[in-house]
Amino acid sequence: MVARKPLRASDKLVFLLAFVPYLLERRVVDVSEAAEYFGLSEGEIRDAVRLIATSGLPGETGTYQPNDLFDIDWDSFEDDDVIVIVHHVAIDDAPRLSAREASALIAGLQYLSASPENAGSARLAALLEKLRLGTTGAPTQLAVAETEADASLARIREAVTAGRQLEFDYRNALGERARRRVDPLRIASLGADWYLQAYDHGREDMRNFRVDRMTELLVSERPIADHSGREVPDTLFHGSDSDLDVVVDVAEETLPLLADYLADSHSEPAGDRLRVTLRVAHYHGLKRLIAGLPGLVTVVAPAEARAAVAEWARAGLAGYESPDVPTGGSGKGPTG
Amino acid sequence: MIAAVAEKSRGTPRIQVEDRLFSLVLALLATETGLLKSEILSTVRGYAERYDPAGANASLERQFERDKDEVRELGIPLETIESPDRPGDNQSLRYRIPKGRYDLPDEVTFTPDELALLGLAAEVWREASLSSDSQRALTKLRALGIEPREPVIGYAPRLRVRDAAFEPLRQALDRRQAVSFRYFKPGEPAPRLRRVEPYAVVLHEGRWHLHGRDRDADGLRTYLLSRIVGPVQVLSGVTFDAPPADVQDRILGELEALRLQNSADLAVAAGSDAEVRLGKRAVLRDDDRGVIALHYTDAAVFADELAAYGPEVRVIAPAELRDAVTARLAIVAAAHDEEEVR
Repeated sequence: MVARKPLRASDKLVFLLAFVPYLLERRVVDVSEAAEYFGLSEGEIRDAVRLIATSGLPGETGTYQPNDLFDIDWDSFEDDDVIVIVHHVAIDDAPRLSAREASALIAGLQYLSASPENAGSARLAALLEKLRLGTTGAPTQLAVAETEADASLARIREAVTAGRQLEFDYRNALGERARRRVDPLRIASLGADWYLQAYDHGREDMRNFRVDRMTELLVSERPIADHSGREVPDTLFHGSDSDLDVVVDVAEETLPLLADYLADSHSEPAGDRLRVTLRVAHYHGLKRLIAGLPGLVTVVAPAEARAAVAEWARAGLAGYESPDVPTGGSGKGPTG
Repeated sequence: MIAAVAEKSRGTPRIQVEDRLFSLVLALLATETGLLKSEILSTVRGYAERYDPAGANASLERQFERDKDEVRELGIPLETIESPDRPGDNQSLRYRIPKGRYDLPDEVTFTPDELALLGLAAEVWREASLSSDSQRALTKLRALGIEPREPVIGYAPRLRVRDAAFEPLRQALDRRQAVSFRYFKPGEPAPRLRRVEPYAVVLHEGRWHLHGRDRDADGLRTYLLSRIVGPVQVLSGVTFDAPPADVQDRILGELEALRLQNSADLAVAAGSDAEVRLGKRAVLRDDDRGVIALHYTDAAVFADELAAYGPEVRVIAPAELRDAVTARLAIVAAAHDEEEVR
């Protein structure tokens, strides 16, 4: 069970407004069943039942008379932990979604439309329409473009569902290419980037693979092993003992783009920038990261890291000086 | 003031916030004609205990104003009705929640499959500020008592929002407020202040864009959130007409058309990361020459991406993109060339 943040008053209100129609719809509900359905503790459910059972309308006299209040079957509740509403007031239906709530689900669904789960599905359009109908006013104008999924994704999905092994050529972040044989366990994504979390038979350990670095993908006939005892990590990035610390200066606005690499939350001012420490697996990845944020991040130390970045950028420039040679050279390039 | 409130509440049982809000919603749903503020404060649980019939209820009134806003933020249609006899008189305003606009329409029901899909859609935001909105939406839909199909296993799609401007812009969209922010357009020497009526926020090619009307240029513009520098501020007192309902789909269409218009020819080094990853997005490829063609939306954004590949990729055309990439590589080389940094 994932640790949950304590509910805010507005979240509790929404829960109460949803809990009442749920109880009316189901008529007889065990506390444990309700707790599981709403993802709350049994204590929270019992507190809510007691609150509802004493709530109601001020009525004509403004004094909350019994007939203006909710009532439950107290014997069932106290003896058997069973909830039955025997009298209700004011609400009996689910509340509509707010503009923000609806737009969050709609944009989430649009993002999922890229996945093999939903490719070209008409039910998605019907679902979006229902969400629009069920919103107070109109959903907030937020949208996510449908993108073409990597063709490999559908085959990987097939292998995950069927529990079959996968084989593919993979070029890792260090540029090494090798054939990998894996038990695919989970497809994860981060924005436009898709990953496969899998047990690698060659390395005898869990590995994350970028789907766009896979080629020659093959769904094998061989079934995957039992990995029920193995935890698939929730994060796609995790450090190791061999990681290197690199000090960089970064514009404050750019800092969120480095969030996956920050060694700690410490930062200090350095001119009009912030000085922070990154933790990277190797300079091979670092030079790409820094070159992709041109002018926004500067490596301060160590000197080897600075040199690796400078060399990478110079090599890139050299390609434009002598177009026949794609790599190498050390002269300064034209500055456009 | 705080001491006075503490004094008054002594001896009366403390009513929790959600209890007061729940009682308020029930009372306003049950009334056809609406309740006066004085009726609400003097009778509804959570207010009535602190109500002073002698008339000193300023803090209670402020509490009611905040509660009203909070209830509306949740999508509950709390209405204010002016008295036809006494227009403009605040004390004779009536409040109610019309049940017809509160209840989820009967035709909105979901199959267990659809609910499972909505659950997955909500999970997409688990690392973003939209997480609490999508979780609340799911809670509301649980009112229907439908048991969703078993959650989709082996699948963890996720969107992240790393632009600080996202949340204030989403709020401004929601409340239809005009905003101002400093925007750094490539090619301009410094960020410039923009005043914008926000129409839509859309994700295209992995980047969040704001579409709206630039008040100074008096025209429609699209901005990249990643180029907004510093805070987004609300322009108070500025109102504007609602944009067309499908504006977000239209702007996505325009961005996509723009992407298809732009095409780059790239030389990629054999066996490199650039060949594998950019190659997957190629629309044309000449394997003999190691040249691929790719669509892109924004030259500056694409140039950042290409610069990351260093010597693995070389732009052949267009010249604008080639110059943008070499300028970036030169900046990176220069910034890391000096012997000493300090």
